[in-house]
Amino acid sequence: MTSNSDIKVSIEHLYKSYGAETAVKDFNLDIAQGEFVTLLGPSGCGKTTTLRCVAGLERPEAGEIRIGGETVVAPEKDIYLFPEHRNIGMVFQSYAVWPHMTVFDNVAYGLRVRRASGAEIKTKTMKALELVGLDHVADRFATKLSGGQRQRVALARAIVYEPDVILFDEPLSNLDAKLREQMRDEIVRLQKEVGITSIFVTHDQSEALVMSDRVVVMDKAVIQQIGDPEDIYANPVNSFVANFIGVTSLLEGKLTARSGETCEVEVPSTNGGAPLRLRGTGAPAAQTGDRIFFNLRPEDVQLHLDAPDVSDGQNVIEGKVIDTIYLGSFLEGRVSASGHEIGIQIDHYENLRPDQTVWLTFRPEHGLCLTD
Amino acid sequence: MTTETLSPTRERSRTSNRLRAMMTQENLITFVVAIIVAGAVIVPLAVLFVSSFKVLDPLGWDTAWGFGNYVEMFTDRIIPKAFINTLIISSGSTVLATFLGVSLAWINARTNCPGRDYLEPYNLIPFFLSPFVGAIAWHNLGEPQTGLLNNLARDVLGIEGAIMNIDNIWGVIWVTGIFFAPLVYLFVVGSLRRMDPSLEDSARTTGAGLVRTTMTVTLPLVMPGILSGAIIVFVTSAGEFGVPFKLSAPYGWETLTTQIFSKAVGDDANHYLGAAMSMALGIITVFLIWVQQRYIAPRSFTTVTGKGFRPNVLDLGPWKWVAFGYNLTFIAVAVVLPIVCLIIVSLHPVWTGKIVWADLTTINYVKTLFWWRPEAISAATNGIGNSLILAFGGASIAMVMALVISYMIHRTKGFGVRMLDFLSVVPIGFPGIVLAMGVLVTYIQTPIYATLWILMLAYITRFFPYGQRNISSIMLAISEELDQSSRMAGASWFTTLWRITIPLLKPGLFAGWILLFIIFLRELSISIILFTTGTETLSVGVYYLTNFENEPLTAALSMAQTVLLLIAIYAFRRFAGREALTA
Repeated sequence: MTSNSDIKVSIEHLYKSYGAETAVKDFNLDIAQGEFVTLLGPSGCGKTTTLRCVAGLERPEAGEIRIGGETVVAPEKDIYLFPEHRNIGMVFQSYAVWPHMTVFDNVAYGLRVRRASGAEIKTKTMKALELVGLDHVADRFATKLSGGQRQRVALARAIVYEPDVILFDEPLSNLDAKLREQMRDEIVRLQKEVGITSIFVTHDQSEALVMSDRVVVMDKAVIQQIGDPEDIYANPVNSFVANFIGVTSLLEGKLTARSGETCEVEVPSTNGGAPLRLRGTGAPAAQTGDRIFFNLRPEDVQLHLDAPDVSDGQNVIEGKVIDTIYLGSFLEGRVSASGHEIGIQIDHYENLRPDQTVWLTFRPEHGLCLTD
Repeated sequence: MTTETLSPTRERSRTSNRLRAMMTQENLITFVVAIIVAGAVIVPLAVLFVSSFKVLDPLGWDTAWGFGNYVEMFTDRIIPKAFINTLIISSGSTVLATFLGVSLAWINARTNCPGRDYLEPYNLIPFFLSPFVGAIAWHNLGEPQTGLLNNLARDVLGIEGAIMNIDNIWGVIWVTGIFFAPLVYLFVVGSLRRMDPSLEDSARTTGAGLVRTTMTVTLPLVMPGILSGAIIVFVTSAGEFGVPFKLSAPYGWETLTTQIFSKAVGDDANHYLGAAMSMALGIITVFLIWVQQRYIAPRSFTTVTGKGFRPNVLDLGPWKWVAFGYNLTFIAVAVVLPIVCLIIVSLHPVWTGKIVWADLTTINYVKTLFWWRPEAISAATNGIGNSLILAFGGASIAMVMALVISYMIHRTKGFGVRMLDFLSVVPIGFPGIVLAMGVLVTYIQTPIYATLWILMLAYITRFFPYGQRNISSIMLAISEELDQSSRMAGASWFTTLWRITIPLLKPGLFAGWILLFIIFLRELSISIILFTTGTETLSVGVYYLTNFENEPLTAALSMAQTVLLLIAIYAFRRFAGREALTA
């Protein structure tokens, strides 16, 4: 963990609701100086509301937010600072570049508001524009720019006055696929270069995994998991996180036995066939007979066209091909076993027909057992 | 390849095909309509232009060609002053109306002012009422001796003298500014309401406070709308006749419109000098409207982003009650106070500035409305009937015309289209009194002069563009493919118009019809030039009473007109909605 003095943004017990609907509940997060944190979750999970509370555009009902050591909002202590008094920068989904100003004036706005000298405005604005590669269009009106360029203007506008933290509200979702990747890499490069603390809101898990130092996964107004991208992907704490980050096949069953790390799980059949008996890992607190969600990622499953030799303790599932999709560099497929659907991923060409009998194998450590 | 092998015969058949293609239903009808509209719009203005170069000899018997009228405009004792007064009044009312209109639109669209959705319709009421009646009401409120407010101040507060005097150029600015504030409001409220909130949010997160954000982001973004509204107010104020006629002309502040009026019907009538003055006024207004249409309207910023839209409003904190009070004050001053004052005055046999409960009477309503009673004043009682005929008939004819013209502009490519587009902007540039002078000099020796038809002709010519814009805005929103599919299905052009287009346009047609109905019901500056005994309209009746009778009679007929207008406004709100207004 980082030491206390390094903490740039601190959110404690944040609570916000819209009428009867709770938007954010008991949100706790410390963000270190220079850290890039992503709030990830489906729409309506409370990630944008949290960000807007940090910005001061929404007022929470309870909790406390500190930026750079200063409390910016704490309803219980009757503290609320307006957005303009928080020394933050924000980049919006709709760019929000002012159409009545030139690119230069857009970027210089924050410096003018802060009463910087003329020379300082000029050098800092041009430096920020150079950083985003737009110094050659400084005199143009923002309306003449493309979507990607506008988002760069918004970015330059948010960093030019060196705020304590920069907030990104789904800034890439208005861009087309190719531009999105390009901007994504650019934001990461820029963030590392400037070393600015960043909070990034997105519903796109691949963005979150690529960009972040830490990911905060949210669902239904509550934080589900906080961790670095590898950790979140490899060790999801519940089936929501497992399912939301990457693709996973989810099998619901019961814990029948445990030996050391290994859990034996029985997944009842839904089509009258024999139940699946699987070995996985995880769920250390679960007792025999407890409900278990068995998670299996497609890329961890091996496909066999003939019955495999299973001497090394691997799981074997016999099933029938439902269908396959050709995705260029690999195939995605679905296999039905005891009435359950299991996703597979094959990186070489296989001539699979629907209803063909196949065998799937995977190691127990890839079968992640979760209790909820 | 193919062009080289074309034979001369195929060349010729192509030419004749093109000729035949030009003789379509579409081309013929657009051409004919364009000619008719051009006749109605251009002829009076052309005749006005020509007449302005006819100089009446001192005895008034004969005319000679020359620039004498234009010279006289500068050498006359009154006209140059009237010209300056018009500029002062127009500038003053523009500043006041713009301030009121923008601030009210901002409060209603962008802040959490309590009850803003309920207040909006009342903010817009002055737009529909007659400014002339507003001037009459304010005369009775703010006249130094008999003004209700001045008497209240003397009786209740014990003040000596008067707290205000409305009968001067400032009074004209006050009343005109209040009545035209909704014009500016309507020009800016739409873009304020639809503005992407993150444009303002990003200014806040960048470090600008509420005031700075409003001044550097919000208002500049709607500046094209503000400028358009301001120009329209300037032009409308310059052409406004009723308010200066009531409040400033009798006290020594003549304006161009009151001078044109006196040259048209006064004792020293001189139609040719009036024509020259109308030309002067018309050139100014046409120039301003041209600037607005050509340079300002196209500049408006796209501030709607669609995606990520989150309609939020500014939290004013305790200031929201200030905004609420400001809004209520406007409604009180612009709507409630004048109407209450008119009711009070209209119930007195004579008005001395004080309410005399014992004397209250309905005799004024009997005299001005009950035409079958012997004591009825015919100039007043004629008004309601004539105005209703003109409003029903004029609105209906104008909407049919507007429909045909809009259809042609947006759905056909016939010959007359560009000309029609131009012709339906021209009348907006000319104040009613200018166009009426043109109609007067054009038709004075024809049989339609001194009939209701000349009034209807002038009304329609001046105001059909309003109906046309109402329809056009909807037509632009309806996909042309709906028409085209009908044609594909085998229907003719006319069947498509009747079965597909008109039913889709019904809301716009209705909104436009009521809007014109309202405008015609209160029309003054055209009617005052073109009426004769027997063809008085409601506003002319009010003019007659205020000029030749007394204030209580005037107030009674003013109330009758106001009630009719309020009913029409209710119908408009009920059936048309506010979108129809922003056209």
